[in-house]
Amino acid sequence: MKVLIIEDHQELARNIHDFLAKEGYICELSCTLETAREKLGLFQYDCILLDIGLPDGNGLQLLELLRKEHQDSNVLIISARNALDDKIVGLENGADDYLTKPFHLAELHARIRAVYRRKNLGGTHMIEFNEITLNTDTFEARVGNVTLDATRKEFDLLLYFIVNKNRVLSRQAIAAHLWGDYTDNLANFDFVYQHVKNLRRKIAGAGGIDYISTVYGLGYRFDAHKHEAET
Amino acid sequence: MKLTNKFTLWYFGIMLLVLLIGGAIVYYEIQWKISKVEVVRHQRLNDLIAQQISKGGDYTNHPTRKRATITEIPADSMPKGDQSYYSRGLNWNPEFQVNEYRLVVTSFYIINGKHYRIATYSFIPSFYQLLPGVVDSFKWILLLLLILVAISGKLIPKYILSPFKRTLKVIQCFDLKRRQPIVLPETRTDEFKELNKFLKKMTDKALEDYQSLKEFAENASHELQTPTAIIRGKLELLMESDIRDDQAILIAEMQNALEKLSRIHSSLTLLTKLENKEYTAGTPVCLSALTRETLDSFEELLQMKSLTLSCHLEEKVYIALHSSLADLLLTNLVSNAIRHNIPGGKITVMLTKAGLVISNTGLAPQLPVSELFERFKKGDPASDSIGIGLAIVRQICDLMNFNIVYEYASGLHMIAISFQSSSSASKLLQNLSFPLSPVMQP
Repeated sequence: MKVLIIEDHQELARNIHDFLAKEGYICELSCTLETAREKLGLFQYDCILLDIGLPDGNGLQLLELLRKEHQDSNVLIISARNALDDKIVGLENGADDYLTKPFHLAELHARIRAVYRRKNLGGTHMIEFNEITLNTDTFEARVGNVTLDATRKEFDLLLYFIVNKNRVLSRQAIAAHLWGDYTDNLANFDFVYQHVKNLRRKIAGAGGIDYISTVYGLGYRFDAHKHEAET
Repeated sequence: MKLTNKFTLWYFGIMLLVLLIGGAIVYYEIQWKISKVEVVRHQRLNDLIAQQISKGGDYTNHPTRKRATITEIPADSMPKGDQSYYSRGLNWNPEFQVNEYRLVVTSFYIINGKHYRIATYSFIPSFYQLLPGVVDSFKWILLLLLILVAISGKLIPKYILSPFKRTLKVIQCFDLKRRQPIVLPETRTDEFKELNKFLKKMTDKALEDYQSLKEFAENASHELQTPTAIIRGKLELLMESDIRDDQAILIAEMQNALEKLSRIHSSLTLLTKLENKEYTAGTPVCLSALTRETLDSFEELLQMKSLTLSCHLEEKVYIALHSSLADLLLTNLVSNAIRHNIPGGKITVMLTKAGLVISNTGLAPQLPVSELFERFKKGDPASDSIGIGLAIVRQICDLMNFNIVYEYASGLHMIAISFQSSSSASKLLQNLSFPLSPVMQP
């Protein structure tokens, strides 16, 4: 997947770049509106990460340009301004999602994948990983032939793990993914622990491999290579 | 009382006073004038009589002598100064058989070496007889003036005050959020010109301040969130690298602190936005449905803490409130009730058209309950929360003119919000006699 990161904060852009590069994405950086315009004129991208506050203008201007040129790239706005107006204007002008800083990189990745799935995979709702199948339309999870009796939150959690497989996911990142930012420390870590525990138990109960492992002090990891290790 | 009515009343008062004084002046003036004219006439008569005497001859039955008294007096009783004086007083008038005012004019003459005193008199209209006439005419004048002042008091201010009324209307419609500078009507009245100038200056300044405040809030948000995002990203990347266990703990602690920082910051930004009144109520939200949704979303957490939830939710409670504020309000209240609960405790939620009451079991607060609405005040200092949830709740209530109270009694924390600003929220706490349906039991 080719990703264009339009972000004026070099460090942040590099964070995103480093994270996504590990997924095998080809990432290009652009710090200004001007260079972004040039790049968009020359190349085609699957996904564009767009910051609104750029040194030479408002990122929302690019949305108009993209619409005019009929580029069907996915656009994900990343902004520090949690202003409702921006969100609405952005989504109305053709952005696919809106993420407020500071976000977790894993969250960004999950959003990119979700948007990509929605637009590019011919509307398929099935995500498969080895014996696990997730239907994002009906929120049904299957392990082999067994339907997993998972709650909506557990489904979301599993999807989050699979999208970010082989990565350490902190409890904060999981909590923010499952409950959003509103809750004042409510989504506490016991809660995350409880959900992960339930999910692991249910997968094991359905005869699946326990891919999820605890990373000491930090959180959890969905270990895709466990499959090979165990067989 | 209206300004114009005040003016009119004052005019009435002043008019009454002026007319009273005027009446008195007119009365005495007429009185004096009559005497004066009469005195002049009599002096002329006296002079005539004196001429007749000097000419000699018999004038005894002449009309001039009808009311004249001619006395020859010794030389030494002649007055030194004035040759003439007058006096008046009530006397019997034999012609009309009544007591009337009689004016006597006495003059002194020296005719052919002899000294004479000639006095003539006449009856003049009494002042008391004049009074009703004076009063009557002033009554009519007063009446006419009253009618004119009353009519003009209604009509003229309408014309004169119309620029003021238009200014008032413009000011009433002024809304900071719309960021429209006001346009005031032209006027030729100096006072209104000054008022308009002042208002224009003031509202422009308010707009400017509001704008800079908003910009500050947004900039602060932008400038602080970006470094936080950078740190968070770096930590996440660090997490992926090969690290030792003790390093992992350090990273986890940093992440915790970072999480808190970001949450404090976004809460403060939210509070600023609330204070700036950036959220205006659109279409009314159905609080019944929203409350049910919110409670559903906390289901897992309730289960985990083994809390019993019971509620009474009236159907179709619509409140004119921004939907995200309604969401925030409910989420904060419910999460608060869960967080500060005891294991195996209870939560009761009651929603009626009058208000919302949420109560939960919990430990006695270490602060006075009223202080819990303040920012960064926590009932339990050791808790992990940042203590801003209730401040946000109160800010929303203030914004919407809801009445909110917090009470603690016998192990029960109760928060009541009355949707009508006129009725006190503590009233809600007194009649909690709804049948409660248990929603969830551990």
